[in-house]
Amino acid sequence: MKRLSVGECDIVVAVAGNPNVGKSTLFNRLTGELVHVANWPGVTVARSEGRVIFDGRRICFVDLPGTYGLSSTSPEERVARDYIVSGEPDVILVLADALAPERTLYLPVQVLELTPRVIVAFNKVDAAHATGIHIHVDGFSRELRIPVIAISASTGQGLEELLRTIVEEAYQPPRREPLTINYGTLEPYIDRLVEKLKSRLSPDEPYPARWIAVKLLEGDEDVERYVEQRYGRDVVEEALRMSGEYAETYGRPPSETAISSRYSFVDSLVRRHVVRKRVEYKPSRMDEAFLKPVIGPLLSTLILFLILFIAFTVNTGFPLNLVFSYMGYEGLGEAIEKYSLSGLLGILFSMAGSATSSWLSGIAPGWLTSLIDDGIIGGVGAVLSFLPLIMIIYALLGALEDSGLAARIAMSFDSTFRRFGASGKAVFPYILSLGCNVPGVLSTRALEEREERIAVALSVPLVPCQARLVVIMAFASVLFKGGLTQALVVLSIYLLAITLALIVGKAIRALLLGKKEPPELLLEIPPIHNPSWRVVWWHTWDNSKHFLKKAGTVILVLSIVSWFLLSYGPGGAVNNPADSYAAILGRLISPLASIYGVHGDAAWKLAYAFENGFIAKEGVLDAVMLLHPQAKSISDAVRALGINVVQAYSFLVAMTLYVPCVATIAVIYSETRRASYAALTIAYMIILAIIVSAGIYWALEALL
Amino acid sequence: MNLAGIPPGSRVRVISLYGGRELQRRLMEMGLVPGSLVEVVSNNNRGPVIIRVRGVMIALGRGMASRIIVETL
Repeated sequence: MKRLSVGECDIVVAVAGNPNVGKSTLFNRLTGELVHVANWPGVTVARSEGRVIFDGRRICFVDLPGTYGLSSTSPEERVARDYIVSGEPDVILVLADALAPERTLYLPVQVLELTPRVIVAFNKVDAAHATGIHIHVDGFSRELRIPVIAISASTGQGLEELLRTIVEEAYQPPRREPLTINYGTLEPYIDRLVEKLKSRLSPDEPYPARWIAVKLLEGDEDVERYVEQRYGRDVVEEALRMSGEYAETYGRPPSETAISSRYSFVDSLVRRHVVRKRVEYKPSRMDEAFLKPVIGPLLSTLILFLILFIAFTVNTGFPLNLVFSYMGYEGLGEAIEKYSLSGLLGILFSMAGSATSSWLSGIAPGWLTSLIDDGIIGGVGAVLSFLPLIMIIYALLGALEDSGLAARIAMSFDSTFRRFGASGKAVFPYILSLGCNVPGVLSTRALEEREERIAVALSVPLVPCQARLVVIMAFASVLFKGGLTQALVVLSIYLLAITLALIVGKAIRALLLGKKEPPELLLEIPPIHNPSWRVVWWHTWDNSKHFLKKAGTVILVLSIVSWFLLSYGPGGAVNNPADSYAAILGRLISPLASIYGVHGDAAWKLAYAFENGFIAKEGVLDAVMLLHPQAKSISDAVRALGINVVQAYSFLVAMTLYVPCVATIAVIYSETRRASYAALTIAYMIILAIIVSAGIYWALEALL
Repeated sequence: MNLAGIPPGSRVRVISLYGGRELQRRLMEMGLVPGSLVEVVSNNNRGPVIIRVRGVMIALGRGMASRIIVETL
């Protein structure tokens, strides 16, 4: 019996496979019960587990990251390798793609060199059949001396046989040796190294001696470190010397010979056990469109706009409510806004707030009522108000990912993002950030290169999220006259902020991280197919949970802190916000407002609004409302500030750029694991916001 | 000849790979070993080069593609 976080398991199965091989679909099919996933489709760095009860036995599945190999070049491959030899899994299930056996068998072969306790499953056999590829699993099974099974994760074909085989395998005593591959000219070197290693290997050594020898010759740095630690530096030196000797003799590094030999072995297997009616590959219409120079990016942009339009409309009614209002259907527009998810949540929370306050007012002291009402319920409301948008965007992006469209979109944006020192994959952090910066930062994990991840994570908070859109819209609709002007205000701020984000990203990459060249794209383009809605839902739910965990606590705690700052002053609880700690802080930073010609009351009130926006950007509006208790609506409150058009525009620019909200800062820290990066983001954004908005203010003042 | 200069529709064979060890390994593990047959699906001299190798479609940055030496068949 082994203990996973899943609970008690009778059998533990590690599931390995290339990206796009259908691992998520299989995992989802097999284990109705999902335990933990914390990642975006395609990159499963965090571990997810699931359990199924079959034949009275509890079989636990541990999903390994999708990798092509098992070297130490990426954290994903290291995670997979370490877990395979950890002794925890009873069986390693490796998925291959029946549509591309000559590529996807490379990983199973590598796993078989490590351990013989392997089951290989060819996924997508139904699709392979349809395209004229026939896999003779018995032949593979005989030759590799392990169970080989044909399955289809999307239809469920072969899954029962798979489960039965897992149970049989798990209860068999370990009896076979790991697979031995003929490495040709490298063999004498391997033999010499194995000889040297054999006498020293400790009995509990989890890696086979031959495997260690091959990896040392290949120059795997992790294995070098490992061997040095356990068996001494001289073995590693010997391997390095041999490696150099080999390269000199044969004119190529041992790693090339090793990888080529494994692929030759794969090729020989495929030649004997795969029958293929020669079908010429023809890209589908859809594929051709995405590959065209102009149409591809255009189509991708269209899809992304559609996603944002749907997500924003379902969430807040905007912009569809405006479309209807302009067409003369004001009633319909208002209804859409009222019954949007945010609208409904707003109604729910104000009801909950008034219900608890009337219930508490008799039995609890005033401060407690206020804390629960304004602090906690308000805070939970703030967390939850992000959730619908995030879930919708995750669902839509999940569908793009699972259908294979996401890879095509990333590919067609590559040329654009290259100019700003990023790859086409960076388009997704940007798109998510338009909804909310938190998932935007979290999604940088899908980027391959470390420098790209950092540069995008640190610059993407400049992208206006929907909370900022709400503030911009509220100010624009009150202070600017005419629909066209208002639209121009919103659009120009978006353009400015996104351009700045791209430029800052490039600057961080070049100046801070010292990378002059943009990252090179290397991306597998899977065939387009209908997304599996179960998988999409699964990823949506898990990513949203992840968001709630990451951002929820921070937002809640800071909501309570801001409630305290707003409700208390040096003299205790305050009725007038002007006496609160927050107002005192506001007065401290209010001299900055004089740059924009704002003086007096409006100065500290705006400063105070900025403080509030640090918690969550829509807090800017709440603050303006709170400071004008006599105002009946948000429009009245904004008008009561008494700022002019130029000031308002500069204010909006500053508000958009000035600082990431606390939840975003929290995830920048958790993703980069460096407090200095979070601090840097805050600092550069504040400076950038002041410079840009002041520049705009002076320019507009001079022009108008 | 390198892969970046091969027109779409051509079939080529990989001869060797240049570039960092890390990059070479990643390319080879995705099936681009010397001797592999490659079909160029799309190459418009600007964006990524799209190839099919071992039954899988892969998009490669131009810099990367130019470090893959091939011969036409």
